[in-house]
Amino acid sequence: MNEPATEPPSAEFGAQAPGRIEGGIDAIVIGAGIDGLAAATYLGKAGLHTVLVGGAGLGGRIGEREIAPGVLGVDGEHLLTTLDPEVIADLDLYRHGLSFAARRLDTTYFFDHGEALKFDGDLAQAAQLSLEDDDDREALNGFIGELLELAAYLRPAFEPAAFTRGENARRGLEKALGGAPPEKAALIQRYLYSSATDAIAARIDANEIRMSLLAEAAFRSGAAPHEPFSFMTYLRRLAGEAAGLQGAVAYPEGGAAAVVAALRRAAQAANVDMRLQTPVKSILVEGDRVGGVRLETGGQLRAPIVIAATDAQRVFLQMIGPAKIGIELQRMLMAERPEICTGRAQLVLKGVPQDDATRENMKRRLVYAPPVEAVTTAFLDARAGRVPEKMIIEAVFPGSLEGERPFDGRMLMSVMAHPLPFDAAPGDKKRKKIKKAVLRNIESFAGGLTNRIETIDIRLPEDEAAATGASPSSFAARPGIIRQWALAAATAASDRINGFYFCGPEAEIGPGISCSAARGAARAALRAYRKGAA
Amino acid sequence: MIFPEEDIVADAPRPTPLMIAVASASEANLWTSVNGWTAARVYSSVSDEYEAAKNLAALADLGPLSRYAVRGAAAPEFLNRLTTAPAAHLTIGESARGLMLDDAGLVIDLTEVSRVSDDLFIVASSHPHGRRMRLAARGMDVEAVDISGEVAALGVFGPQASGVLAAAGLKSVSETMAASGVLRGVETAARPIQFGALEGVELIFPKEEALTIWERIMRRSAGAPIGLDALEILRLEGGAPRPGVDFVTADRALGGDGANRGLTPEELGLAHLAPLDRGWFNGRRALRELAARGARRLVSLAIDEEQSAAGAAVYLNEKPIGRITSWAWSPARKRVVAFADLDAVAAMDGEFAVSAPSPSAGRARARKLETPESLLAEAYAGEAGRDRAATDFRR
Repeated sequence: MNEPATEPPSAEFGAQAPGRIEGGIDAIVIGAGIDGLAAATYLGKAGLHTVLVGGAGLGGRIGEREIAPGVLGVDGEHLLTTLDPEVIADLDLYRHGLSFAARRLDTTYFFDHGEALKFDGDLAQAAQLSLEDDDDREALNGFIGELLELAAYLRPAFEPAAFTRGENARRGLEKALGGAPPEKAALIQRYLYSSATDAIAARIDANEIRMSLLAEAAFRSGAAPHEPFSFMTYLRRLAGEAAGLQGAVAYPEGGAAAVVAALRRAAQAANVDMRLQTPVKSILVEGDRVGGVRLETGGQLRAPIVIAATDAQRVFLQMIGPAKIGIELQRMLMAERPEICTGRAQLVLKGVPQDDATRENMKRRLVYAPPVEAVTTAFLDARAGRVPEKMIIEAVFPGSLEGERPFDGRMLMSVMAHPLPFDAAPGDKKRKKIKKAVLRNIESFAGGLTNRIETIDIRLPEDEAAATGASPSSFAARPGIIRQWALAAATAASDRINGFYFCGPEAEIGPGISCSAARGAARAALRAYRKGAA
Repeated sequence: MIFPEEDIVADAPRPTPLMIAVASASEANLWTSVNGWTAARVYSSVSDEYEAAKNLAALADLGPLSRYAVRGAAAPEFLNRLTTAPAAHLTIGESARGLMLDDAGLVIDLTEVSRVSDDLFIVASSHPHGRRMRLAARGMDVEAVDISGEVAALGVFGPQASGVLAAAGLKSVSETMAASGVLRGVETAARPIQFGALEGVELIFPKEEALTIWERIMRRSAGAPIGLDALEILRLEGGAPRPGVDFVTADRALGGDGANRGLTPEELGLAHLAPLDRGWFNGRRALRELAARGARRLVSLAIDEEQSAAGAAVYLNEKPIGRITSWAWSPARKRVVAFADLDAVAAMDGEFAVSAPSPSAGRARARKLETPESLLAEAYAGEAGRDRAATDFRR
């Protein structure tokens, strides 16, 4: 593992004296998570005196933690699919230590009847699959090839602020697809309205491939796979790239914490003034422009630019306050009632399996793909607040991916389970139910593995919120693509407050680490600063 | 205080709190539905009602309009955000007109805000906005209660309005006509209002006492009831656009750039009601961006004809530039007065032609009409209008 991403507050991260008003700052970034770090680094690199303030440790929800004595795990994300390549290049993240243990993880899909299907990491090369039937292989090749091509055209539509606020989503999409040939644009429009189940069923006959693709399409989505617009979530995944390969799943050396560490080094190189344990009480809006922030300690930091990289409800409803924001924006933020979330589990296993097949699988991404009907039922159950019987499981063994030795004969398994019912404060009983259901689903594709469990650590939105000081709802599964577009457009417009920019999770389209909203906000801030508007 | 469009489907409209009283004065027995409430189109004759408003005092049942009591320490801040009226600057007994804008700076409604006490305001709007009010009140120390059906609201317009107040038992009225009192156990309040640019006063009393107060006024022959048709003439002469008729309100607009989109205050000719130098109100930041971008303009026209039609084309140099949205025969001006939705650039001209209702009649000459509202807009747009006296419409 790399060095820890989070550091205890030290003298260099000094707190501000109570009641003091500090000026001479060009920009303030609120939130020391991955987006806040990226935005602050952009501004720092451009020569602006930038202060990064946050109430939690560096990295936000992504941080290293001891899961069991002597076993370190990384909270938050365990794989990368959409880390913005422009951010990697602009901020020199490779020079600052980012490296990938796997740029294109192979995936094994497990099914209920004991069968498994191996996918090569390069989605465009379905010929590498463990498929016997040539027709199935050809159908999958054609479908994936088409989706990758369409997803590439769709990239502008997944950029933050791709649509202006109040713009009709269909009109916005047409604008974003300006570069696509008419027949491709028409196809994308058709997929926009499609449900994941219909879109897949229309092109794929083989049941195993259907289950695999549906598991990918529904994983981490708040939209059930039988609902309209749900297929777009998969296209968003396929449009992303983490390590220069479109649609691939990558694993960075050191896990997601390595991204935080690289960003921290980049921020330090850019002379960003990082002040952790400095919670912000409110954002000062004076007339139509931002004036700085008021700290919990009572002091003020004054700056012409403020970028907020924490959840929208907290930023707009608490830090700015309902009296100073638009009523439609308030309605939109209050209307967000998440129903579904993804659970993160880290399992410490006693002993390492010795058989070749298992050892080989431990170097892959493992996905348990329940039957199509079971996935639909799982979403309905989760929405009703019940823990589903079956769920999609994504598992990796970080130690194996990094080629490291196990921890004293123990092995860490990192799991994401979806869908689970969202609950801002689940009690012990619900947690136990979730734990039991996750283990049952793991057991259904890795029989006997649960007997090896020494420790299991389940992390739900409530835990991530507690670690970051954000609202639990910001860690829920993202809603359908249309609502994501609307919310991203509304929040990224920052309610038209001059000098204020928002790049929290609501400004992004799709789950996972992306940083593209941070890039968008920082670039907009720099443009305004250079024009003298900020 | 402008009546919005009549309901397209009037499915059993509710009686207003005053209806039981005003129904006795209705000779024409001609009713319609506005916001789901019953409203009289004509009581006796349109011309008599119009004359009464001009020379005596006209009494309008304002029950179909929406009315909210806003109470709480944050009430001024809440209203400053919700409407463009300078609520925080109102003293007790003062009223101010304003607009309700959406986040994009487009007009949702016309409003009138009155300060009743330090922390109590009454807000009236053309359309109901209960949900919006409740939402905007979330997170603020304020409570907005819909009192539309709970109180009787009688609008009094005309030079003899103070006589009506005296008849109702309110003798000591202030300069702004604001008053309140208890007469024989009936709590009654009066607040200054404006019907477009036409000044008036609104009497508010418990609905249970509607008949008592009404009879007191009628017994003294202090005023005559006025229906929607006569009010429509007064509105057009005053130059006040009617929501749902002259423009599509932003909350009901379909969006896009077509005729069915919402309009900015500038496009409605009401920029003076949303001055950008006033404190924060919802939509102001967007309005600042939109300020120079008005593609359309709602203008008052005087047409040299005896009648016209909503939808009639307006031409400039033989080129169609817009359409008539509402019209009425004005006895005062001896011609048709109308509102037209025109192309903003073409609307800068002063003379137009309007297609006549029958094709054989050709086109009628029309010119821009100077109304109290358009004069206010002009004063605001000019340098003289930049001072506070011209942009603050408190009464």
